[in-house]
Amino acid sequence: MYPQKLNKIINLFETLPEEERRETIVSYSENAKKQEPRKDEQFDLVDVRKDEECMDTVGVYLHVDENGEAHIRMTLGPEVQTLTRAMTAILCKGLEGCTPQEILDLPSDFVTRIVGTELVRIRSQTIYYVLTRIKGICKVYLDRQRMAEVA
Amino acid sequence: MATNLTQYAHPEALVETDWLEKHLKDESIRIVESNEDVLIYDTGHIPGAVHIDWRADLQDQVIRDYITPEKFAELCSKNGITPDTTCIFYGDKANWWACYALWAFRLFGHDRVKILNGGRDKWKAEGRPMTKERSTYPRANYSVPKKRFDKEIRAFADEALAQSKSGKPLIDVRSPGEYKGEVTHMPEYPQEGVLRGGHIPGAKSVPWKTAANDDNTFKSADELTKIYIDNAGVKPGTETVVYCRIGERSSHTWFVLTYLLGLDNVRNYDGSWTEWGNKVGAPIEKGA
Repeated sequence: MYPQKLNKIINLFETLPEEERRETIVSYSENAKKQEPRKDEQFDLVDVRKDEECMDTVGVYLHVDENGEAHIRMTLGPEVQTLTRAMTAILCKGLEGCTPQEILDLPSDFVTRIVGTELVRIRSQTIYYVLTRIKGICKVYLDRQRMAEVA
Repeated sequence: MATNLTQYAHPEALVETDWLEKHLKDESIRIVESNEDVLIYDTGHIPGAVHIDWRADLQDQVIRDYITPEKFAELCSKNGITPDTTCIFYGDKANWWACYALWAFRLFGHDRVKILNGGRDKWKAEGRPMTKERSTYPRANYSVPKKRFDKEIRAFADEALAQSKSGKPLIDVRSPGEYKGEVTHMPEYPQEGVLRGGHIPGAKSVPWKTAANDDNTFKSADELTKIYIDNAGVKPGTETVVYCRIGERSSHTWFVLTYLLGLDNVRNYDGSWTEWGNKVGAPIEKGA
C-alpha cells in the first residue's frame, strides 16, 4: 500500500514506545536540513512560498529522472515547528524514488501511525502540511506533462 | 542591552537572560519551559528546565477546564516544586505559553512566579547554554491547594458579557483582521476557525504584540502606560477583561497589565473567541 521505504519507517515508528517515538521524531527533525538542495542540483519544478498553514517559508524542489522517479528536496524557514521538520525528513527519505503519480495517490492516514495520536492536537496540525506541499508539486508536474502530451 | 526592570510596577516578576544564566543552579528556583511547539523542549532547553505542557499537563483532558488542585499538586511535586519554589517561566512564541502557564499557576495560588524576559528565542539568540538532557528533581511534597482562584483572575463568558454591557475595559488582543471580523482564524492557524468573526461589543483592539519589542522582551513601562492606559482606556482600579482565541495571547497581555503596570482586577477570559464566536446568543460587533 505504501512505498517500500516509507513503509519501513512506518513500521519502525509503530514498534516504538511513546518516549522513543518522540526521540526518533526529534532525531528526524534534526535531519531536515540534510534534505536541502545540493550544490549544482537541477530541478524540474521549484515551489517556495509562505502559506497560512505554516509558521514560515517552505520550499519544495522536484526533480524527476529519466526513469520517471521523483527526487524531492526541501528548505524550511527557522520558525517551522519540530513536527513539520520531522515530517520533511521522513517524507523526503520515504518517498525517494517513487513516481509523482505514486506520491499523488498516497493516502495520508500513515501520518498518525508515525506521529502517534498524542501529538496530533490543536497547534500541531501542520504535520499534514509537508505531504500536501509535496503532493502539490507532483500534481503540477503531472498536469504539465499531460498538457505537453496533448500539445 | 538589559532592560531596567525597576521601571515596572512589579520588577520582581521579570528576570533577564543574564541573571538566569548566573542562577542556573539556584535551588530556590525552578525553570519551567512551556511552548506551542510540542517537541521543541526535546530539541534543547535551558539546563535544569522542566517541561510543562499547556495541553497535557495544565488542561483537563475531558472537560474544557484546567486540572484539579489535586492534579496541580501532583504536577508540582513530580517536578520538585514546593509552594516556596520560585518558578521562572519561558517558552517559544514570545512567551505566550509561558505567560499562560504562569497564569495557570496563579489559578492555584502559586504566587512565586516570574517570566524570563525575551523567552526562549532571546536566550538562544544570545548563544546561552542549551541541553537535551531531561531535567529531573527529587520529588517534592506540594500540598493540595485549598481552592482555585478563578474568581480573581479568570473571566467566564457571562462575566465578559457583563463587562461588555457595563462599558468597563475589555481588551481584544487578537490580530486586527480577527478583531474586525475579516477572518475567522488567526493568521497561520486556518484550522482554528470559528462560526462568526468580529469582537465582543465594546472591546478595544490592542494586539498582544503591541506590548513586545522585536526581540520579544517587553516594552518599557512608559510605552505600556501609553498603549493601555492613555490610548485603550484601561483604568487603574477598574476591572479589566482580556481575551484572544484560546487564552494564551491574552495571558501575555494579562501579565503585562497585572505585573508590569501593576493593575488590580485584571482577568483573562480564556474561553475567548473559540467560545464567543461559536456561542449561541452571544452578540458580536464587526469592523474597526
